[in-house]
Amino acid sequence: MFMRRESRPWRHVVAAGLLVVAMASGLAQAREVNDVYIEGDKVCTRCHDENEYKPVLSIAQTRHGTAADGRAPTCVSCHGESDTHINKPADVEKRPEPTINFGRKSTTPVADRNQVCESCHQGGKFIHWQGSQHSAADVECGGCHTMHTAHDKVRDKATQPEVCMNCHKEKRGEIRRPNHHPLAEGKMACSDCHASHGSAGEKLMQRDTINDTCYTCHMEKRGPTVRTHQPVMENCAICHNPHGSVNDNLLRQRPPLLCQQCHEPTGHRGGIPGFGDSRGSFNSTGGMGITQGRSCLNCHSNIHGTNNPVDASNERTFRR
Amino acid sequence: MKRLTVLACVAAMSFGPGHALAVDAAAADALVRKSKCFTCHHKTKEKDGPPFAETAEKYRGKPEAIEKLIKHVTVPSKVKVDGSEEDHETLRSDDPADAKNVVEWILSF
Repeated sequence: MFMRRESRPWRHVVAAGLLVVAMASGLAQAREVNDVYIEGDKVCTRCHDENEYKPVLSIAQTRHGTAADGRAPTCVSCHGESDTHINKPADVEKRPEPTINFGRKSTTPVADRNQVCESCHQGGKFIHWQGSQHSAADVECGGCHTMHTAHDKVRDKATQPEVCMNCHKEKRGEIRRPNHHPLAEGKMACSDCHASHGSAGEKLMQRDTINDTCYTCHMEKRGPTVRTHQPVMENCAICHNPHGSVNDNLLRQRPPLLCQQCHEPTGHRGGIPGFGDSRGSFNSTGGMGITQGRSCLNCHSNIHGTNNPVDASNERTFRR
Repeated sequence: MKRLTVLACVAAMSFGPGHALAVDAAAADALVRKSKCFTCHHKTKEKDGPPFAETAEKYRGKPEAIEKLIKHVTVPSKVKVDGSEEDHETLRSDDPADAKNVVEWILSF
């Protein structure tokens, strides 16, 4: 056997030649790449892998990247065919961006970017998107949402206010006032009251009116009551600043100043308190000191409305 | 004997694994990501460009390695990808110390 091998030395030459040819052809051939998470993604994942500056493969941890869901988009569904991005033309210096690109430096018009999302996300809670405040202000879906991450901050109630307050900066201050809805404490999120994708009501309220939205939690204020306080029926925000206030009960101003915006300063409503003497009061205006520390609410404790039938002669007093 | 031990330690730190300790791996990794080097290169796996581990192996023990690689990552050049010529982009930093750190990091694989 040994002799037979030695007797045919040309075999080694042929084998070596074949090896060289195989190696050369291997170098010339394109590298074989496979899909990573969804069919057809190899055209992108060939370059964009787990080491990207902005990770892209983590989309597989989201609903958009769920391969088992037939509705799930591919890279091309959202970013377009991107021929010039994949095969850089010889006559350009910089590789062109994908057909549809997102983010702050995007070259794609906002309407076209949003159209990508709207092609699937329509109806339901998106029914009011067209013409809504955010849509009219050219807010991009990607301005609030992050696609290629398992944790979309705006969809997590604990982190959602951070996203909203990137633009609504004045609210960041308001929710940190001494009296505030508990957003900073994580017990509420902006979306508990506001429908960011559009609403039939004002201020992107979840319900058709501000009051209806407030009543979803503060239902004891809804009534109906025998005696009604008209501003309560109109708009809670006439008296309250819902995001936060330095006054108790989120009031826009401290009573009696708040009350005196509507209730003319005559009679006891404009009186300045004083320590009572034999004449009943001792202050510069000589008015009666009966405003009880200037808090109207000390007496008018049922200010949102009352069912007390007794005081029929003065039925708008809202006293207990 | 004690002096010899100290000398041996100093020598080991200069030429052995201690040399790698001088590399700021986190900074190098961040700059490489920012410069999109990972679009074509991977630390260990085959992509359009050679893996960093292969580059480190290729240049191991060669004195001109650092100088040559610094030039490669700071001066625009052309490379062959699947038979076609592509621009080899450069690091997104003008600081020579950054380039040296990245090259030393690649050579540490």
